[in-house]
Amino acid sequence: MNPAGPASPRRLPRAALLLLAAAAPAAADEGIAFFEQKIRPVLVAHCHECHSAESAKLKGGLRLDVKAGWQRGGDSGLPAIVPGRPDESPLLQAMRHADPDFAMPPRQPRLPDAVIADFASWIRLGAPDPRTGDAGPARRADRNWWSLQPLARAFAHDSIDGFIAARLAERNLPLNPPADPRSLVRRMSYDVTGLPPTAEEVAAFTAAFARDADAATAALADRLLASPRYGERWGRHWLDVVRFGESNGFERNFIIDDLWPFRDWVIRSLNADRPFDRFIVEHLAGDVLGRDQPDVEVGSAFLVAGPYDDVGNQDPAAKAAIRAATLDDVVSTTAGAFLGLTLGCARCHHHKFDPIPTEDYYRVRAAFEGVEHGRRVIATAEERAAFTAATGELNAELARLNREIDALDRTIDLRAKALLAERRFPRPKMDPVRTEEPFPEVEARHVRFVIRQNTEQPGRAVARSRSRLTTRGGGRLTEFEVWSVDGRNVALAAHGGRAAGARGAVAEDFPEAYGPQLCIDGTHGEQWFIGQPAELTLTFARPERIDRIVFSNSKDGGQPEGQAQGATPCEYEVQVSADGQDWRTVASSADREPWSERVGLERLRPEVITPEEEASLAKLERERGRVQARLNQVPKLPQVWAGKFSQPAEATRVHVGGDPGKPGAPVAPASLDVLAGVLPGYALPVDAPEGERRLALARWITAEGNPLTPRVLANRVWQHHFGTGLVDTPSDFGFLGGAPSHPELLDFLARRLLHHGWRLKPLHREILLSRAYRQSAAHRPEAAALDRDTRLLWRFPPRRLGAEELRDTLLAVSGQLRLEPMGGPGFRLFRYTQNNVSTYFPLDAPGPETYRRAVYHQNARASVVDVLSDFDLPDIAFAAPRRASTTTPLQALTLLNHRFTLDLAAAFAARLTGPDPVGEAYALALQRPPSAAERAGAQRLVAEHGLAAFGRALLNASELLYLD
Amino acid sequence: MTPLELTRRHFLGRMNTGLAGLALSRLLTRDAAAAPAGATHFAPRARQVLQIFCPGAASHVDLWDHKPLLARHAGQPLPGAEAEVTFQGRNGNLMPSPWAFRPAGRSGKPISTLLPALARHVDDIAFIHSMTARTNTHGPGCIAMNTGFTREGFPSAGAWVSHALGSLNDNLPTFVAMPDIRGEPPNGKANWGPGFLPARHQGVPLAAQLPLRNAGRPAGISAAADAATRAFLDTMNREHAQARPGHDELGARISAYELAARMQLAAPEITDLAREPAHVHALYGTGDANPLKAAYARNCLLARRFLEQGVRFVSLYCASRASAVDGLLNWDAHKTLKADYERHAPIFDGPTAALLTDLKQRGLLRDVLVVWCTEFGRMPTHQEGTSGRDHNPDAFTTWLMGAGVKGGVSHGATDDFGRRAAVDVATVYDFHATLLHLLGFDHERLTFYHNGANRRLTDVHGHVIRPVLA
Repeated sequence: MNPAGPASPRRLPRAALLLLAAAAPAAADEGIAFFEQKIRPVLVAHCHECHSAESAKLKGGLRLDVKAGWQRGGDSGLPAIVPGRPDESPLLQAMRHADPDFAMPPRQPRLPDAVIADFASWIRLGAPDPRTGDAGPARRADRNWWSLQPLARAFAHDSIDGFIAARLAERNLPLNPPADPRSLVRRMSYDVTGLPPTAEEVAAFTAAFARDADAATAALADRLLASPRYGERWGRHWLDVVRFGESNGFERNFIIDDLWPFRDWVIRSLNADRPFDRFIVEHLAGDVLGRDQPDVEVGSAFLVAGPYDDVGNQDPAAKAAIRAATLDDVVSTTAGAFLGLTLGCARCHHHKFDPIPTEDYYRVRAAFEGVEHGRRVIATAEERAAFTAATGELNAELARLNREIDALDRTIDLRAKALLAERRFPRPKMDPVRTEEPFPEVEARHVRFVIRQNTEQPGRAVARSRSRLTTRGGGRLTEFEVWSVDGRNVALAAHGGRAAGARGAVAEDFPEAYGPQLCIDGTHGEQWFIGQPAELTLTFARPERIDRIVFSNSKDGGQPEGQAQGATPCEYEVQVSADGQDWRTVASSADREPWSERVGLERLRPEVITPEEEASLAKLERERGRVQARLNQVPKLPQVWAGKFSQPAEATRVHVGGDPGKPGAPVAPASLDVLAGVLPGYALPVDAPEGERRLALARWITAEGNPLTPRVLANRVWQHHFGTGLVDTPSDFGFLGGAPSHPELLDFLARRLLHHGWRLKPLHREILLSRAYRQSAAHRPEAAALDRDTRLLWRFPPRRLGAEELRDTLLAVSGQLRLEPMGGPGFRLFRYTQNNVSTYFPLDAPGPETYRRAVYHQNARASVVDVLSDFDLPDIAFAAPRRASTTTPLQALTLLNHRFTLDLAAAFAARLTGPDPVGEAYALALQRPPSAAERAGAQRLVAEHGLAAFGRALLNASELLYLD
Repeated sequence: MTPLELTRRHFLGRMNTGLAGLALSRLLTRDAAAAPAGATHFAPRARQVLQIFCPGAASHVDLWDHKPLLARHAGQPLPGAEAEVTFQGRNGNLMPSPWAFRPAGRSGKPISTLLPALARHVDDIAFIHSMTARTNTHGPGCIAMNTGFTREGFPSAGAWVSHALGSLNDNLPTFVAMPDIRGEPPNGKANWGPGFLPARHQGVPLAAQLPLRNAGRPAGISAAADAATRAFLDTMNREHAQARPGHDELGARISAYELAARMQLAAPEITDLAREPAHVHALYGTGDANPLKAAYARNCLLARRFLEQGVRFVSLYCASRASAVDGLLNWDAHKTLKADYERHAPIFDGPTAALLTDLKQRGLLRDVLVVWCTEFGRMPTHQEGTSGRDHNPDAFTTWLMGAGVKGGVSHGATDDFGRRAAVDVATVYDFHATLLHLLGFDHERLTFYHNGANRRLTDVHGHVIRPVLA
């Protein structure tokens, strides 16, 4: 089509037309007339069905029945028509069917060229449109969205309580009176450290509180914030945000044992109050900033702490999709954790609700294009140098010994080869599908098949010397038959035969797999995986007269194109015995043609090796063993699952429709368009070094003037003190997220955070000392009627303990909690098994080695463990910035009946050694004395059923699990 | 009498009611559930779901989807796709199914002779032959078939249904997952996870070989001590709750302990297969000489008992995960199709057919929607150098039966060789949309907000497959 438009009503210069349209009423009327004549009927006939107020379902959020509809545009967030510019108007592009995925009307041929030309002319005229009416309520956010605005600088109040009181005053609600000291010290201890106070701490605080409540509270806050338990508690919150999990998820879900240094680094950083902007930069580019500084570099493990699919996929399209999904985790987590943006929603199209173009997604992906999952050495320069010094000479020595051994082996092989060339073997090669070994008739109760070599991995070391004829064997068998002279397979399980032999693979959840019994089941379906020693021992129901065996490693006996049965025994002896003690060899592979030259050389080697060579080899191997042992003693450089980086070969491109098979325009590693105009951006060349890309993104995220990062962080801090954030969707500050309950307070907190140099502890302190935090949790019906969810904070919102708090509390009150080691490899509440894929079995009886703080549990993806999973420990498939708090009968079953509770109830009971065990129990568990009625009931329970029964009840008490 | 004793008697009394009322519970709760809190969008056709899942990608062209041209062109290249590279590598030539297909039922539907017992049910089944998957990998495929997404973290269909419809029997979990005795399916527990829905919607693993965790009274604690502990706890928790009006969770927690006590009594009763008469055991084959078949048969029988008692969603697995040998533990016949399926099919066929027969005879199919699924299909060619088939996400078969389903129909079709879905191509989203439709829900309106999006079981896709509806 002629881009100038063939059917322009008057061939006036465009500028003149626009001028006319704007200035001259007559021309404007003509424009309207053109609209009425040529445009409106087409819109009604072809567009209104899907794009009007009458549409059963409004498609793409676009309305074309009012002017405001095309001006606002649809879900893309872009106007559908750019007046004066037909070629830039998405509506016309769609009508022209420029992109088959975005062609209108859909699934139909194009409208006639003349109609399309009319639209081009109309748009060129400035798209005059007399239709009034609004386009309905906003379905999305634009650049004026609240969270995208700069942080406020001036505030109506100068303290947290000012903002809270002002919002409450709007509803005529006062704060609750101050909480009693016991409630306050329990609340604050849990909030800051995740652990209950001791009875002594409660008593001391109560006394100090009576003297000077403010001073006592400030002292308590300072003590708790200084405790190393603080980092364990708040580090866990952060690990939820960054979807920290110690297995890769997906099908194989293998466990990752060297990601814990990241967890320890998070805890350490929080305890040290490391400025959070630095902390964030180290997440994204710690390796760039801190080469040879493990405490900086390890932060970059954040990038690979999420799930990823490692199954080997040969299909190229599937490979690209897997790579895209792997990076999507990094992109989405980064945007959610630091910026509160749901950038993942812009992967396939412009964000449907927020003003985020799809290019923004790929700008961030470009920053991570070089990231690969895996482990790498993280060590100081000194450690690296020391390691090289300690291993260099040993490695050289090892190489020399290997060369000498190889040279000697080659000369022996040469002679074996000559011998093999002239040796004749009377019988043919064994056949993996079916090999029969006849022997003279013999009476036996037992047959033993001793395997020395298999077809696929003939062992070098096996037959090196006459003196050391070791069993190596291996391989697999599907069936092994022993035939009696009267024609019965006496080995068959159905005939009473039994098979014994080690297996080379196990599947703990399916013990029958891979076992030797599969050789005597009468079918060729399943294989015995031969383990060490490589021997199959068969025992018959009774002594039998036998004269042959048959073995097979065929699975289906002759399907087309090969058998694919894998390694099969090819060097072996068949032995018989009457009593299972004395064995006699009745047949062997020795007179068969060898399976391969390699197997033949190994068979003949004992005949050609000289005693001198044997001695030399033995000596060299001893030396090699010694060197290897010394090498093994040198401590390895620490490796961490912190990812590997490589320079991407190609520029990052938009994936059209999110499909990696449809590459679009290249995208530079650059700042996000969504915040352009709020703070200075950057754009690197498309081939910028990958480390620089991550560093640039990190610096932009933490740049002065970025309003999202401090807002999102301040909100998270608030959330974990009050149970709900000022924004209740902590990683989504967009259109679908929650509106801030106190927008000004949020900005105030963000400013305070910046004022404190991005340090959290001073901000915690301001919150902990506020009246809003220190008020009681008492319920007031008239206030609840106005604000059921307590978002206005007319009381302190009571809450249930989280999963880790609960487990830690049970351990603490029963005196079993082990605070050391504070870090290092995690403990497991599951048994881990691997057989191609991983399976996690919850432990029935976790022992004292698991009595550590729950933050040190090795949380594997898609594993379910008792207590923690029951109480809403999230599966870390995604970031879990806000946990659920559910109440289920399964919680009751676990907490009442699991071995963990019972063991702790016994330990708890054992602590009650004083003259008043009931009073002691209440003090330990609840930090208060029992009432008279409670005491009476408890004493009766103890008298009838013992202290452990009482302990079991207390460990289940709501009062233990809920905070006021 | 002290208040504590009163409470204790009261408590034990309630527990007894729970036990005695167990047999009636389904009847009672049915009426109560007629207008559940989470009301349906329109009148439901089905109230419960039995999902039978054969993990490992059960081959459509060897079980349900007859492709006569495979035999005629055996050994020839698949036209237009010579040596195509799929999951494990290059493919060889077309390979006919090792088993004949025979017409079954009044509908004359050809079914593989590997499944003689299931073939007798074809007149009640609606096959969907044009299914397509978004992944060619087992783990992501299984969770996609269960959650609609190839990555973990999304709620399983059973969890969505629990969320939407709630419980029919408070004494049992709403959503029960029954793994095979050979282990968990690919991606394990993520197949029945609650995702971001509240934890109470999770599938609870419970099978003949896998009792409900922590449901037994602990060894060494007498019934009297147990009851006294619970009674003491109940009093404590009630006093604690009474002092905190307006805190609903505390009351819910007390109810949860009562519920747990009833569950503790109900679970062993319902899982006790000895209560079934001998002829029922014989029907299912629970005493089969093949221990794997007997184990699966026990789970089939248990599934029927769960459905009868009002479990809302039962996921029954036949086979498990990938192992060190392809096709050993599940339907993943990469290298030796014939040997593998001659092991798996007999385990699956008889007990499953017995379960369908039993459900039908008892009238349960008026309420229960049965769906059979697997994560994707297999290639019509053999895998290079083997006599097995590689993964094929472009075509597979699923089927529906029971409440609201038209029997004896086949919807959609693959091409001449079964390589790709060709007619009325359907997706996992369509499958889920249809399932929700039968339960009375518009899949586009059943949503839950999570991390920036109003999530659905069907993401942003899905159309109800209307031709299979009765």
